[in-house]
Amino acid sequence: MKDWAFYLLTAVGLALFPLAIHPIGGYSGLATEILLLGIGAMGFNLLLGYAGLLSYGQAMFYGVGSYVALLTVSRFFPQVHSIWLALLLAVIFVGLMALVIGIVTVRLYGIYFALLTLAFAQMFYFIVFQWRSLTRGDDGLQGITSPPLTLGPWSLDLTTRLPSLNLGPFGNLNEVTYWYPFAAIVILLILAFVRTLISSQYGEVLAAIRENEERSVFIGFDSKRYRIAAFTLAGALTGLSGALYGLHQTSTAVDTLDVDTSGSFVIFTVVGGVKTLFGPLLGTGIIEYLQNVISGKTDAWRLIEGLIFVAVIAFMPRGLLGSVPRVSEFAYQPRFRRTEPLTEPRRVSEGIILETKGLSRYFGAFAANSKIDFSVRAGELRAVIGPNGAGKTTFFNVLAGLRAASEGQIFFKGQEITRMPGAQRVASGVAKAFQTASIYPDESVFENVRLAALARVQGMFAPEFLRRSGRLGRVDDIAHDALEQLDLRDVAALRAGSLSHGDKKRLDIAVALATQPELLLLDEPVAGMSIEEVQKTDRLIRALAKKMTVLIIEHDMDLIMGISDSITVLHQGKVLAEGTPAEIRANRLVQEAYLGGYAEEARGASAPGASAETTP
Amino acid sequence: MTSAAIVAATRDVILLELFEINTYYGDSHILKNLSLRINEGETVALLGRNGGGKTTTLKSIVGWVPPRSGRVMFGGENITGHEMMRNARAGISLVPEERRIFTNLTVAENLKLAQITAVRPGWSLTDVYARFPRLEERASNKGDEISGGEKQMLAIARALVQGTKLLLLDEPTEGLAPLIVREVEAIIREIKAQGMTILLVEQNFYSAMALADRCYIIDQGTIRFEGTPDTLRGNTEVLSRYLHV
Amino acid sequence: MSGDTTIDAFLSQLPGTLLDGLIRGLAYVGIALGLTIVFGMLRLVNFAHGAFYLIGAYVGLVVSDRLGLVAGLVVAPIAVAIFAIVIDYALLRRFYDRNPTSQILITFGIALVVQEALRLIFTGTTRSYIVPGWLQTSLNLGFTQYPTYRIVFAIGIVILVCVVWFFIERTNYGLIVRAGIRDRIMVQLLGGNVRQASTVIFALGGAIAGLVGAGASPIYSVDPNTGFNFLVPSFVVIVIGGLGSFWGAVVGGLLVGELQSLTTLISAPASDIVIYVAMALVLLVRPSGLFGESEIIRG
Repeated sequence: MKDWAFYLLTAVGLALFPLAIHPIGGYSGLATEILLLGIGAMGFNLLLGYAGLLSYGQAMFYGVGSYVALLTVSRFFPQVHSIWLALLLAVIFVGLMALVIGIVTVRLYGIYFALLTLAFAQMFYFIVFQWRSLTRGDDGLQGITSPPLTLGPWSLDLTTRLPSLNLGPFGNLNEVTYWYPFAAIVILLILAFVRTLISSQYGEVLAAIRENEERSVFIGFDSKRYRIAAFTLAGALTGLSGALYGLHQTSTAVDTLDVDTSGSFVIFTVVGGVKTLFGPLLGTGIIEYLQNVISGKTDAWRLIEGLIFVAVIAFMPRGLLGSVPRVSEFAYQPRFRRTEPLTEPRRVSEGIILETKGLSRYFGAFAANSKIDFSVRAGELRAVIGPNGAGKTTFFNVLAGLRAASEGQIFFKGQEITRMPGAQRVASGVAKAFQTASIYPDESVFENVRLAALARVQGMFAPEFLRRSGRLGRVDDIAHDALEQLDLRDVAALRAGSLSHGDKKRLDIAVALATQPELLLLDEPVAGMSIEEVQKTDRLIRALAKKMTVLIIEHDMDLIMGISDSITVLHQGKVLAEGTPAEIRANRLVQEAYLGGYAEEARGASAPGASAETTP
Repeated sequence: MTSAAIVAATRDVILLELFEINTYYGDSHILKNLSLRINEGETVALLGRNGGGKTTTLKSIVGWVPPRSGRVMFGGENITGHEMMRNARAGISLVPEERRIFTNLTVAENLKLAQITAVRPGWSLTDVYARFPRLEERASNKGDEISGGEKQMLAIARALVQGTKLLLLDEPTEGLAPLIVREVEAIIREIKAQGMTILLVEQNFYSAMALADRCYIIDQGTIRFEGTPDTLRGNTEVLSRYLHV
Repeated sequence: MSGDTTIDAFLSQLPGTLLDGLIRGLAYVGIALGLTIVFGMLRLVNFAHGAFYLIGAYVGLVVSDRLGLVAGLVVAPIAVAIFAIVIDYALLRRFYDRNPTSQILITFGIALVVQEALRLIFTGTTRSYIVPGWLQTSLNLGFTQYPTYRIVFAIGIVILVCVVWFFIERTNYGLIVRAGIRDRIMVQLLGGNVRQASTVIFALGGAIAGLVGAGASPIYSVDPNTGFNFLVPSFVVIVIGGLGSFWGAVVGGLLVGELQSLTTLISAPASDIVIYVAMALVLLVRPSGLFGESEIIRG
């Protein structure tokens, strides 16, 4: 929908709202409350729907926001006759609060995250309750008149009523105070902000993280910082909600910080529809209507609320956090086939590019990797081979940062990276293609690669909340290059999840490639591919090896022997042998390891009569 | 009759048959119209490159990843879509690639669990400890305190305790030292001699050839070769194309 | 006030406080036990666990009014077990494989509905049990007088913990449960009925909570908010002890109970907050808790 149409329709809807609810028992004060609370719900939705985080502590931001606003008016700056100061201080203070708490909490997930946010909220409840000298404890703050809305020379007391106009069943216009239009404008602005945020560069990456966090980290996005940003924005919005609500009510109480308030935001958002723009507002409307209107008619209103809540969660067709097929932001536009790439890969280093010293990785008592000393020169194509269970994939995972090393050190381009987080390693130039292709199944092939290219161009984190990534032309260039090299142009517009197994693996390699690595780790790139695909991949790897250092795990000996500069053999977690393909082929120990004592038979079978397949 | 003769006489009874099964992981089509059969008392090897569908075939048989179409027949009965528990109770045992020993239970408890859930007569604890004395030594060790070879023994012993009729082994020699590989092979040979029907997935070509009566090669989800080890050994084209031997 | 008097006051209050903490801690253990076992076996975060406690308390109340305390203690866990099984079949089944957030939300919703339904039925008044006469006495423990009922309750919880321990560690069914906690699929591959075991564990967890609810009500009174009042601390307990750990629930429960009780000596309102501070510290420093595993070990 065109932007202007969207905003126009929304504005009209908002204008009609306070009167439209009249016939069903609503009133304008309720309409205002719904909008103001809805701001907090939208903040919560940012966290739950878009970042995938369930916080059980939003009440702390809501409550503190209301207290800061009301205290600003009544104690801190009573001489300032403008509502803006109270709102500004509330948002800034709560925003900082959310930033600090976010930094501390987002390292946890799921129930742990929910409980930690709950714990913090309870602590703030306690502080507000006990700090009687400031907050009046459980008496709360009352009777604090809101300062007027000021705009230049104009000043408007928000409690002023609109002019009288009888609208029959819809009541009289003078029941509405100027609080409502003010709230409506604020909501409109916030809707615009959230809408922009979702399709912004930041929103795009946040969605990617939610769809496949592992892949997002290993194309170079710092997922933690993205979540901290979401938490901070959500907190600030919730704080604004509390501040406005408190000023509207002219009072606040300590129960704005209790568990029930946190729970309310959960209910508003879930009932209305997670991950939708208007959902939180809708949910707030329904629940508030129940609480204020239905509660007058029956005692069972809270029960009804609970039943609606359960029904929504239980019967949501795609599940609560299932993915909604996104209208593709970045449709694939084919370009002419090029022989030369559009973009330059990273500068190729010289000398030893990767080195490990005594690298070990334990799982409990089991040593998957044991004291591995390993070094690769820049530009080399090194194969890492060994029987299943030898520790090859674990080794690559430790190099890439998927798993921490238990002992030993890793050096990349002379710098120690043993403790460096995965996303940072990708940003430094180490990329890994996974053994089981890790992709974004609901995005198109092109968008998959484009995300990796975006990470390369923007870095690990970019606070681009308003601008779209489409403005970065270089991103598209890199993405097209990667598609070209992996020959994925024909399937570029298809949904990645629908690809064949072999194509998914090639996509995974393309994604790794789009980060423009200096060191590329390929984990069984041809497993499950047809013979023709293997040949294609053989050619591709040779081409890549000219531009970067490649480490490859494979079982296909013909492939390995044909393309490798050198080979490292792992067995039972240790380095068994290292050398040129010819040396490895002749090595008795290697044959023993692979063939489990059948070396004699093997030598018999590879007599001159048995020919290796030649590549046409 | 000698056990070998009994075995020979039962050779033509089909115990397991797969008719054109198609198995998917989500959207990925892994097994494509796959068919194979195993006779009672046979040891059949399933070979092929990584990613070809060997483990998926075992998972389809046992009900872990049921096929979307096609039929799985066991002992003449259609077991397609039956869940794991039911197939286990019907006499199919899968020894998975990672062995999956319960690390929070002792060796003895691992065996005891297999006894509790067994529905048919199988090896007794005495039998197990007689054949696997090392397991008796380790009886009170937790599952994560024993070696890889001991884990493999334990995993196989669990299946024997269950009185299994069809034993599915997924890469039993993976990650083991050559000496232990020989031990595992010896055990498999003994079980085979006692009349067990075995479907063996192996990466170690020569190990598989030494044990199998027949073999299949699977690549990209379909069967590319079926025959005896001798036939396979002579077929250099298939060997190099699918097995890189 | 001179220093001597305050120290005297402190010391004289100490044994009573420690006992109070023990009783409260045992109540927490009772509730946390069901919660942690259900998480271990089903990987389900059950926010409705507090509702189980509440149902047990109210059922026990109604039954014991007419048929006596013992009848209440027998019927309550059975009623909750039935409720748990019904909820499992009707609703919770499809959430086993969903992400934890969905599980938290659906169980939170169930708790809400139960709480409100009970509030409507019992019109929100605070009720207390009628404890049989012979239990209304206090025992002379030498250093203090202490209500007999609380001591009986404490002993009851200890017996309950022992019974549950025995069930899990020494019975055949418990072996299936323990194996299922580690590897559900392998249990099925060995012919074990994991689904049945899961239902049994879920019902058992609920029954334990219901029994504790019925038994603790004479001490802590019961109103519709009680469910949540005990739920959150019980989550604190299993976080500190380690999600899914039996001993974690036991040690964690006692620690939290004593911590809360002792804090009242210093500052009454602080006792509310100290458990959250403790939970936050554990989550930040060692999220897997005292007895939880920091890593999944593959065989």
